[in-house]
Formats: sequence, C-alpha cells, structure tokens
Amino acid sequence: MEDKPYDEIQFANARQEMEKLAFDSLKGRKLPVNAVFAKLSDVTKAIASGTVTWGRKNSLWPMQFGLACCAMELLDFGSARVDAERGGYLLFRGTPRQTDVMIVAGWVTKAMIPEVKRLYEQMAEPRYVIAYGECATCGGPWWESYNIIKGIDQVLPVDVYVAGCPPRPENLFGALMKLQEKIGGKIVENKL
Amino acid sequence: MKINSEKLRETLEKMHREGYKYLVKLTAVDYTDRIEVLYFIRNLDNSKEETVRFDLSTKNPHIPTVLDLYLAADWYERELSEMFGIKIDGRNAKRLLLEKWDGKDPPMRKSFIWSKPYEGMKDAVKWAEKYKDDKDKKDGGQNVIRIGKPLK
Amino acid sequence: MGETKINIGPVHPSTHGVLRLVVTLDGDTIRKVEPHIGFLHRGVEKLVETRMYMQSPSYMEKIDYVAPLSYDELYVATIEAALGIAVKERAQYVRLIQLELQRIASHLLWLGTAINDIGQLFSVFMWCFKDRDIVLSLLEEATGGRMFYVNQRLGGLNRDMAPGFDKHAYKALDYLEKRIGEYQEYLESNPIFMERMKKIGVMSKEEAISLGVTGPTLRGSGVEFDVRENYPYYVYEKLNFNTQFENSGDCFARYRVRINEMKESIRLVREALHIIPEGDAIGMPIRLIGPQPKEKEVMVRRELPRGEGMMYMVTEGQRPYRLSIRAPSFINTAILQHLPKGHRLQDLFPILASVDTVMADVDR
Repeated sequence: MEDKPYDEIQFANARQEMEKLAFDSLKGRKLPVNAVFAKLSDVTKAIASGTVTWGRKNSLWPMQFGLACCAMELLDFGSARVDAERGGYLLFRGTPRQTDVMIVAGWVTKAMIPEVKRLYEQMAEPRYVIAYGECATCGGPWWESYNIIKGIDQVLPVDVYVAGCPPRPENLFGALMKLQEKIGGKIVENKL
Repeated sequence: MKINSEKLRETLEKMHREGYKYLVKLTAVDYTDRIEVLYFIRNLDNSKEETVRFDLSTKNPHIPTVLDLYLAADWYERELSEMFGIKIDGRNAKRLLLEKWDGKDPPMRKSFIWSKPYEGMKDAVKWAEKYKDDKDKKDGGQNVIRIGKPLK
Repeated sequence: MGETKINIGPVHPSTHGVLRLVVTLDGDTIRKVEPHIGFLHRGVEKLVETRMYMQSPSYMEKIDYVAPLSYDELYVATIEAALGIAVKERAQYVRLIQLELQRIASHLLWLGTAINDIGQLFSVFMWCFKDRDIVLSLLEEATGGRMFYVNQRLGGLNRDMAPGFDKHAYKALDYLEKRIGEYQEYLESNPIFMERMKKIGVMSKEEAISLGVTGPTLRGSGVEFDVRENYPYYVYEKLNFNTQFENSGDCFARYRVRINEMKESIRLVREALHIIPEGDAIGMPIRLIGPQPKEKEVMVRRELPRGEGMMYMVTEGQRPYRLSIRAPSFINTAILQHLPKGHRLQDLFPILASVDTVMADVDR
C-alpha cells in the first residue's frame, strides 16, 4: 500500500524537479584525471561488504523445523553437552522471519509440502537450507512409500547435505561450519 | 468368538452390560475372498479379554456404528473406513490420515500394489508445482511479504 | 458476538510434533477443538508385508522415536510367540533392565518439554536433557547405538552385558534418584506450575474407560490397570511390581504418576542387578530364512512408556500377512476433542503437554 504524505495533483512534478536540481549541481564537479587517492565511495564499499559478509557468516540463526526422529538430535544440539550457542547459532526461533538457516529434519509427506514452501518464502533473504538426515536427503528408509517425497531438494534449493540416520549432533556442527565457508566465498574442495 | 455379521449390535450390547466396557482395538484383515473384522474388548474388573470377529464380503462392505457404546470407536472407525473402504452406517466418517486422496483405491487392500515408486514421484512434483505460481499473483499469494531480492 | 476460528498450525513452537488444531473460540473460552493429523503418515503396516520377519525391527523403532527400544522388543516378542521360541533366563533380566532404563529416559524428555511449554522455564529443560544423556550413554555402552538400537534377537540379545556395567549403573542410578527428588521439590513449591496444572483437564473414571485411553493418562483418573501387573511378562512378578495411580484426574495427577513411575523403575533396575543369574544371553543370529511358524495368529501386549501397545500378526510362510499395531498415542490424541471444552485458550497447552503424544506414533 502506498500512502503518500502529500497531495498528488498539486505536486505532480515535484519529484522530477528535485532530481533535475540534484543532477545539475553534480555536473559542475571536476575530478582530477590522475587521482592519487582512491574515491571514498570505493573504499567504504569494500569495507562495508567485507564487514557484512563477516557478520552474516558468523551469526546464523537457525529455525526449528524438526518433524520426526532427527528432531531429537536437534534438541540435543541445543542443550548443554553439545552447545549450539558457542558457534553463533543461538535463538532457535519459532517464527521464520527472524532466521537465516532452515534445518529440515525428518521425512516430508505430501500433505506437508505446501507448508514447507510457505515457510521458506517467509524467510528474509539471504537464506540457506540444510537437509539433515537421510530422509531429507533422498527419502531414507521410506523409499517405496506412497505418501512421501524422495528428498527435500525436489521442492527447495539445498546447500548442505548431512548423511546419517540420525547423524550425531557433532555432524550438524560440521555442516554449519561448511556452510560458513560457502558464504565466505571459499569453494570447498573434495580431499580424499 | 465368531458371529454372524447381522448380530453385531446385540452381541456388543450384551457384553457391555456384562462389564466389558473398554475397547482395545478395531482392525480388519483382507483375505482375498472375504474381509474379517475384529473387535478386541476387555473387562477391567477381572482382566478378561474377548475377541469378536465376523466376515464381510468384498463387494460393498458396511458395518453399523458402535459410537454410543464405546467413545473410543470414533477414530478407529474413521481409520478403518479410509484404509479398507468399509462404509459405516449411522454416521458420516470423515477421513483421518490420508489427506488429498481420492478415496478410490484403499491402501490396505491386497489389490493395492505397494511399490509404485515413479508414480509417487510424479504426484509429489505435481503438488509442488501447484504452489509455484503464487509469486505472480497481485498480492503475492497468501501471507507472503517480499523482502530483499526476488527469487530467480 | 460471533465465534472466531483460529488455526494452531502444524509448525508451532509449542506443539509436540506436527499436529494441527482448529479451535473455535467465543471470546476467550474454547467451544470446539478439531485435531487434524496425518502429516507424518507413511504406511508402516503395509511396508512390513513385503519384508521377511527379521528385516523389519529397524522400521519398528522409527514409529516411536523417543523410546525406540520398547517397540523393537515388542515386535521381536511377537515373532518369538509365532515361531515358538522361548527366551533364555538371563536374557529376560537383561531385557528388563534395558526396558526400564528406556522408560526413565523417555519420561525425562517428557518432563523437559512439558515444563518448557507451560511457562518457558527453560532451565528444567536443560537439566533433564543432561540427565537423559547419562542414561543414553549407559544404553550406548550396552548396545552400541545412541538412539536406534537393533539389538534384540530371537531368544535373547545381540551381546551380553559387559563386566563393568554394574558399577556404572549403580553410580548413575544414585545420581538420578537424587536429581528426581530435587525436581519434584522445586516444581511443587513453584506457584506458576501449581496454578497451571491443578484442576485443568479433569477426566472422570467412567469417561476415561469409555474413551479407551491408556498409560499414565488412564492411571491419573483412578483406574488401577497396568500390563506389568495384570498380564505379567518376564520377571516382574519376582520383583514385586506396584502400580502407581492417582485419583484426581487433572494434569497434576498425570505428572505425579510419571514421577512415581520413574522412581519405581530405578528400584526395579537395582533389584534386577542384585539377583541376576549367570548364564548365556545371546540369541539366534539374523537369518533371512528362519524356522517355520507354528501359530497362524498371535497377539502380544507390552507396557510402553506412553501406554499399552499391542501387536496382532497373521503369519504366512516367512513374512507376515498382516501386522496390526495398536499405538497408544493414537487413542490418547482423540481425547483432545472432549477435554478442553469450557476452559480458556491458555489451558489448552498444559492439557496437550500432559497427554504425552509422539506424532509418528499417531500416524504410523
């Protein structure tokens, strides 16, 4: 909804006139051709994007989307022995609007697909998805069932896959660290 | 005990008066020429159990409801009617476990073939695509607020 | 004023699993609750018909993921009854010890998440999970798996108890007994907890029997029924098992029943470790083609942490023709249609928490 604070008809050309004034004042600038100092806007852009990436990488807030058995390991991940807060993944929220990462844990049935899509669309960008466990990766032990989909990557774009049934909570730590490397721009190589 | 399918209500009312007031389970087994329905009931005063079973034909099976005697039969009858295709006389049994199913092919019958993996996959992709075009609507579908860059 | 309908959707920070409740309100008072289930249905009963007998215990464990060992043991006991194989004597004691330890772990998880639902008293959640880790590490020492243990074989177990298990178990049980006493003392002197649990969700004795509920939900309403006492199995008679029950029928009574059950389990494990006999506890190894079944139909009951579980199996050669599972959480969730009528909206969550459902158990 666009609520404008002024009357449209009276100030119909106001915006165009203001823009014209601003551009005319900027045309008279003169910059030296051989500039010894770099432009200030370039420097601030570099510092700002580096800081923003560093901030985004080191404070990923996960959303609890535990559906089935792997949710028990998510609860263990948040409690005292394997502490999630020491890596920056604090505040397991119920609402998707304040989170960055969606950890899908458990098998997804046909009745659950529209809910998953709606929750994914409500998250703010940039957002990432981790498929935790075998049921979210490929369908798991319920491969032949008539009611489930084979892996969450038929519906959402997935960044990191974690294998196991269920994977230990220390595995989830490793997966989140791999996601941090991916955000930071370093490509993760396969060393065997 | 094995009874005739018309005498179900008399037998259960008699056992209810004798003290068998706890319904444990209500299941059915599909032998290919008949369907056998089983009622497991129990007397909590002296810990005795009884099994009441009867046969139904596979064409158009139906049983009367026992909701006034045992309140536990509510969800058991709903599950039976959608899994085996048995109709319940006397109440409108809505579906319970299988959402978005046509009701034509009950899954627990022996005529339903279990391993149809590729058909299941096509169904799932169809459901996922049904909600793909929400972002082209004017208000963006239901409960969606666009923040940030649009999805590619 | 008209009535409003709100949707407490499948993904909610307070529902235990994926359950949708459509609540009709009149102001603040609840008029009607409709639970919608089926978000986790995958057809386990149909899947088992395509496998041989001993290929399926791993599927049975994923039905109830909070206490998986009890479902595993129930399924293997059904096959043993069908094939006519007797359990060895030392194996009966070891199975009893493992089952009771699993019951303690399951009730501790219930306590942590239920208290979290009531008022976000998150410290109790942290304490309970720390204690649950101690019990799970005991089970990991005995079986090798952290959450899913496929260690029950026909006639016994996969491996026997290790020689140093006694000392670790006694130490852990002493610590647990002290901690459970402390939790009871802290919680019952907390006015928030007492106000939110007393006189909420009252169920009378006739209603409970007619609705068909099981487990601590039934015993909190004054019915003295427990499968371990009325249809005893293994060595429960030798160890003098007592049923714990309360008379008031509200949420506080159900909480009390579970705390007393935990204390009773600690006593049972201690006594079983005292009088366990020497011998052999290892069962038959897994083979796809095993002995021929002797019975056509068989029915076995056990007391799972959530209630009474029962399996009814019709055999045909080397695979089951039909396996019918009676899950306790399925019928315990149906009472949500009747109990919260007349209460306020805030009283819905203590009722939901005290009924202790696991949604994969409801949908199977």
